[in-house]
Amino acid sequence: MKKTRKAVAFLTVSALVLGMTGVSTTALADVGASDLNIMLETPVESLDPQIATDGTSFEVIADFTDGLMQMDADGKAVEALAESYELSDDGLTYTFHLRDASWSNGDPVTAADFVFAWQRAVDPDVASEYSYMLSDIGQVVNAAEIIAGEKDKSELGVTAVDDKTLEVQLNVPVSYFLSLMYFPAFYPVNQAFFESVGDTFGTSPETTLSNGAFVIDTYEPAATAFHLTRNENYWDADRVQLPGLNYQVIQDSQQALMSYQSGDLDMTLVNGEQVDQVKEDPCFQTIGAGYLWYVSPNMASVPELDNLNIRLAMTMAINRVDITENVLKDGSIPTYTAVPLQFAAGPDGSDFSADQTLYTDVCADDAEKAAEYWAAGLEELGISELSLEMVVDADDAPQKVAQVLKEQWETTLPGLTVDLVIEPKKQRVEDMQNGDFQLGLTRWGPDYADPMTYLGMWITDNNNNYGLWSNADYDAIIDECTTGDLCTDAEGRWARLYDAQKIVMDEAVIYPLYTQANAEMMSANVTGVEFHPVALNRVYKNAAKAE
Amino acid sequence: MKKYIARRVLTAAFTLLVILLVLFILMQLMPGSPFNDEKLNDSQRAVLYAKYGLDQPIPVQFFRYVWNMLHGDLGVSYKISRNTPISQLIQSRLPISLFIGGFAVSIGAVLGLILGLIAALKHDTIWDTLTTVISVIGVSVPSYVFALALSYTLGFRLKWFPLLYNVQQSMGSSVLPSISLSMFTMASIARFTRTEMLEVLGSDYMLLAESKGVSGPSLIFRHALRNALIPIITVLAPLVVDLMTGSLVVEKIFAIPGVGSLLVNAIQSNDYNVVISLSFIYSAMYIVIMLVVDILYGIIDPRIRLAKKGD
Amino acid sequence: MDKTVTAQGYVPVEADFRLKNNADEIALDTNFAAQSFWRDVLIRYFRKTSAVIGLVLIALITVMAVVGPGMNGYTYSGQELNEKNLAPRVPGLENMGIFDGSESMSTTTGTKKVNYYEEKGLDKVYYWFGSDNFGRDIWTRTWTGARVSLIIAVAAAIIDMIIGMSYGLISGYFGGKVDMVMQRSLEVANGIPRLVVVTLLLLVLKPGMLTIIVALMLTEWIGMSRIARAEMLKLKEQEFVLASRTLGAGSFFIIFKEILPNIIGPIITQVMFSIPTAIFTEAFLSFVGLGIPVPQCSLGSLISEGFNSFTTHPYQIIPPIVTMALLMLSFNLVADGLREALDPKMKEM
Repeated sequence: MKKTRKAVAFLTVSALVLGMTGVSTTALADVGASDLNIMLETPVESLDPQIATDGTSFEVIADFTDGLMQMDADGKAVEALAESYELSDDGLTYTFHLRDASWSNGDPVTAADFVFAWQRAVDPDVASEYSYMLSDIGQVVNAAEIIAGEKDKSELGVTAVDDKTLEVQLNVPVSYFLSLMYFPAFYPVNQAFFESVGDTFGTSPETTLSNGAFVIDTYEPAATAFHLTRNENYWDADRVQLPGLNYQVIQDSQQALMSYQSGDLDMTLVNGEQVDQVKEDPCFQTIGAGYLWYVSPNMASVPELDNLNIRLAMTMAINRVDITENVLKDGSIPTYTAVPLQFAAGPDGSDFSADQTLYTDVCADDAEKAAEYWAAGLEELGISELSLEMVVDADDAPQKVAQVLKEQWETTLPGLTVDLVIEPKKQRVEDMQNGDFQLGLTRWGPDYADPMTYLGMWITDNNNNYGLWSNADYDAIIDECTTGDLCTDAEGRWARLYDAQKIVMDEAVIYPLYTQANAEMMSANVTGVEFHPVALNRVYKNAAKAE
Repeated sequence: MKKYIARRVLTAAFTLLVILLVLFILMQLMPGSPFNDEKLNDSQRAVLYAKYGLDQPIPVQFFRYVWNMLHGDLGVSYKISRNTPISQLIQSRLPISLFIGGFAVSIGAVLGLILGLIAALKHDTIWDTLTTVISVIGVSVPSYVFALALSYTLGFRLKWFPLLYNVQQSMGSSVLPSISLSMFTMASIARFTRTEMLEVLGSDYMLLAESKGVSGPSLIFRHALRNALIPIITVLAPLVVDLMTGSLVVEKIFAIPGVGSLLVNAIQSNDYNVVISLSFIYSAMYIVIMLVVDILYGIIDPRIRLAKKGD
Repeated sequence: MDKTVTAQGYVPVEADFRLKNNADEIALDTNFAAQSFWRDVLIRYFRKTSAVIGLVLIALITVMAVVGPGMNGYTYSGQELNEKNLAPRVPGLENMGIFDGSESMSTTTGTKKVNYYEEKGLDKVYYWFGSDNFGRDIWTRTWTGARVSLIIAVAAAIIDMIIGMSYGLISGYFGGKVDMVMQRSLEVANGIPRLVVVTLLLLVLKPGMLTIIVALMLTEWIGMSRIARAEMLKLKEQEFVLASRTLGAGSFFIIFKEILPNIIGPIITQVMFSIPTAIFTEAFLSFVGLGIPVPQCSLGSLISEGFNSFTTHPYQIIPPIVTMALLMLSFNLVADGLREALDPKMKEM
């Protein structure tokens, strides 16, 4: 008996202790010293260009895949795989002429690769989340019908005239169509290769094909570290200087900064608390991220919020400078317009929202005026106290901002109480979509470089028009600018968009807060990394790292 | 005995099936969908739901899932790594988590035993209080604070260990996360060892051994500790399973590609299949380990076997 | 027979006898005043220094949790963005060179010593524990947090006790099929990872103190029921139970009136152990973003807030961590002391 006990005890202990140490690890390829070491906040969700939905995946896909167009340093669309293009006079047909480029398995990149990929993007069997880039936004002929299952995917308005010529038909002229071409949903996929790897497409280096500046050489799904090497056969290989990219996912910002300080990272994000530590460092910089953060009042179901004076009082009572300077500290810019700064350049190349003083009478940091509006609003409603709830994401930044908003509103507007309801983002979005909220703190990232990505939200019955606001004049302007007469008149359309924005601001449909920026550290020896607020946040094609 | 084991295995299998059903029902309660809620409209969402069979009634989904699972198919991820089979996702991660968990339990068990022994042998002295204080501090500082403090001092300042997990040096880079995780095990084992040892030391056979002239280390290790060890192992076993999911925060901090952080991300992004599969693996491990411990216990100690038959 | 003459012809005399000094060996029956079991426990408890220290600490922290937030002019949610991230400064102590509001910050460009009070000209301003990144007083927040954490933990532990105890007692008493079903359900409940259950619960219910208590309760009662069941199995075959049953007592009378008083000791000990577990679990929930909603605070949420400034302003995380560690330590000491005081076997050691 004793022997058995001893043996059992020994076996159990050794099973627990030793059994777990015998784990073999897969070896990584040797990482060169001058690779660029990049920190990511979240892992890649998918390397399939038609499936991916998040910024991290887009960035990595774009490292090893080129589309028809690419972004230059200023975010303008310039030719990539397309050597040239023509636009028909009616603005409805684009013809792209492809350059000689090849996939990393030696196959040439052909027009058929684009046709295959675009058809995948709208195929209900593939169920791409970004299919609306082709239908609602890109207005490619028949895209909407194919997504709805009414037509076969072969009827999509894109055809391979020959191996090197791609023709695209649009429903209406789309002024920003070229800028969509660097969006991964429009990237080509090699059909023969895709079919040879089947369901495993994009889950390992072997099942990934490159036609871009780098080739992915270590990767597994949701990896926390992976590596890409320079693609020697890239059509533009002469411009690529980095030998490789070394990605590391770090979710804790303090670990990230320590890794940066010990030289393991060349680029890293820092959080607002850490800015005190790094703000005197010349390597510290802030980079616009395009997101607009705003508060959406539910005008449809809260009668008090249906009162314009109450809404104006609330938006005027916010001290946006305090929020960005004292709380976020990451370089976010106070925003007083419905379209955020620095992402949409007009026909003359200037930022749509460069002038932040356009609507100072209805949106400013002005506590005095806020109190006046507030008094007027309360009188109209015949009440003296108002208690509201605001739904907020359970993430760090929104919780911080919400706490300051609560404090600012409650001190500036007598009689107002705001309770915060902290929820996971998924639930917050669901609550807002169901109209089950009073105030909601939310954000919106631009899908393409045009103010319409924001202004399109507040038309009647739009999914993201959480406040269920409706204004016939506004709808008419938006209609005019998307499918109507102004489609082909860039300047006229631009001017009209300001009219639309003015209505949104005058009515205080949203309370804009700030345009998000990210605080980053980037080693002094790294140059040429391009940052963009839309689609591809970071591009490394022209980057270099000095020894 | 055989009949007892067979009955236990059957009930365990049934329990697992019930757990799976409960998990399925819990998933239905999760608000939101795995897909990009904000940007999708209803018809697009319907397309996505149809593609993954999420539009079916729960019983249909459940039986389909059980059927597929019996054929070795755990489904695909919806969000974390879209369309990747869960088995592929877990394959490389589970060993890493188990390794770090096992490492942590080993450290915790050894330290815990030593602390517990000291406390028991020097019962009611300053040493006893001191070891209690050390082991309680071990549990009262959250593991993430420990993790950061360790990586700041030993990793960043002294550069003894890497700051982040690195597959190329899995041993060295597992040290800091394992230590941060081992604190809880250490405290539990220390406390348990102390109690068990006190009981054993007070027993008649120890008095006998002592009167026979056995003394010193032999008395403590051969007679006392050995008898105290068996119950200690029974608390140790479920701790290993706990560490598998308990390590999620530490995994996040050290960027470890393990299953703990995967589970947290899956819950936050409504990746149903990943949550169900990981929870199920956790439950299965838990129940299997408890079952093995129970049966071993039954083999070792006839009194327990008889008692079990009674109920 | 003549008594002075024996067979040997010798008669013992008085001087032959000597009193054996055996006062120590004779066990005299002394009468003590009757002592109740509980009084005995109390005496044993207070004989143990660590247990007393634990009790004093708990009392101290509880008192501070009640009066601490009102000891200066600040409120737990009042923000003063001008006075954010100020290091601790205490009147009196500042003249001794400590707690004078200066901090040394390690930046990427080297370590520097700063005193924001001086930089901003805040001569008359004192934050005893410093201020956080909204300019809220950490002293007030720490004690408010301690209050919230204590309420959550004690409430959860007591509800745990009621549910777990009843469950374990019933399961153990009836045995057989009832026990089988109840134990299997318990295995199911225990088999599902806690994080999954708690997260889902917090998603379904509105976030807040009550929800957290429910979440903690749902997962923590299992240990309690195990202990109650084991004690029940030990006791239910004993004579006093049989006697009670013979006298016609019903099952629930026996369970709650006859057996319960006999196992209250281990139960209370377990409650003491489950309070720190609850505090800790709450801290974990805060870290994964499911804790008490802002701007309210608990020790856990303060720690996870301070965590982000850990390398920048370490003083922000210290007060809640130390308070939590002390609370956990003292509850553990008290539980240990109680267990030893209640368990006669341990007393003889």
